[in-house]
Amino acid sequence: MTLFPYLVALWLFLIGLYGIVTSRNYIHLIGCLSVVQSSTYVLLLAIGYRAGAGAPIFYSHPPGTPAVDPVVQALVLTDIVVGAAVTALLLTLAIQVERHRGTIDPEALRPLQD
Amino acid sequence: MTIRRSLFVVLAVAAAALAVGGLSGLAPFGHYPGPYGDIINAVGTHQQHVTNMVTAVTFDYRGFDTLGEEYMLFTAVTGVALLLRDARGTAANARPKRIRGRPRLGRSEAVMTAGRWFAPVTMVYGVYVVLHAQLTPGGGFQGGVVIASALLFFYLGEGYRQWRETVRAPVLDPVEAAGTGLYAAAGFAGLLSGHAFLENVLPLGTTGKLVSGGLIIVLNLAVAVAVAAGFALLFVEFLQETRQFKGERT
Repeated sequence: MTLFPYLVALWLFLIGLYGIVTSRNYIHLIGCLSVVQSSTYVLLLAIGYRAGAGAPIFYSHPPGTPAVDPVVQALVLTDIVVGAAVTALLLTLAIQVERHRGTIDPEALRPLQD
Repeated sequence: MTIRRSLFVVLAVAAAALAVGGLSGLAPFGHYPGPYGDIINAVGTHQQHVTNMVTAVTFDYRGFDTLGEEYMLFTAVTGVALLLRDARGTAANARPKRIRGRPRLGRSEAVMTAGRWFAPVTMVYGVYVVLHAQLTPGGGFQGGVVIASALLFFYLGEGYRQWRETVRAPVLDPVEAAGTGLYAAAGFAGLLSGHAFLENVLPLGTTGKLVSGGLIIVLNLAVAVAVAAGFALLFVEFLQETRQFKGERT
């Protein structure tokens, strides 16, 4: 089962991609994009995990205690917050599309119409 | 099955095969091979006088990377404000939009009470998470979002109008910019004293105390201010969308 967490990340990536490909609603599409994004979090945290080790925080444990990788955790933590803001930007674009074209179905939008 | 779906299945199977091939080359789960994380775990406390290695990575070892993240956040929030900010429904006393077939109910007392209790508690917790970044799990990114969430509880407790009169976009704009700017400006402290950009040049303090880590404290606070104000701005802009346009009758 040493590959299992990596396969979870792969599954999240593909199922999110499937949602994006078949999406008929921009809000749903943005949700699917977040699922794809979370697959990278699972992958990064799985790479940095060490069996039996603690958090990389040496407040009550002295330095040298076995700990997981802090680098991937720092990457994931900043990206979760920035990703949420970028999702807000995408939702804003969906609002604007709805306002100008009256629909948020990507299929109903013909790019060369106007 | 549409053409699109069949095309996806074919490509997904190919991508999955490639990915499995690549993933099986990684170290088995639970056997992190190092060495970067191990080196930081070994020397971080000694070098930076902080006990939270994730904070040491975010604000020192990869501080320049965080500068980029900070500006991505700033740009995203600016984009939302640019796209949503117009004359529509921006007055604090603008009336809520009506949607056909959906009755407009008043706020329930349970929600109001819960909002009023949760808002100050969440705010204090957010400040705690920000201030203890160098010691225990937490930091400006997480704490900033918790503080902004406290403002949403305040909205649930006090209602739209009170909330808009307290959480004001003209105040949040410069605060957001100041937090983002402070991060970049703090980087020049190193340059001015003859070190590298973003180098930790302030006194490091005693490991395990609240004031420790030198420049990490400044960068952490800058991020907390920018994130809290940025997310509060997002909430203001999105909640304005629930109000009627100026002069609109429904």
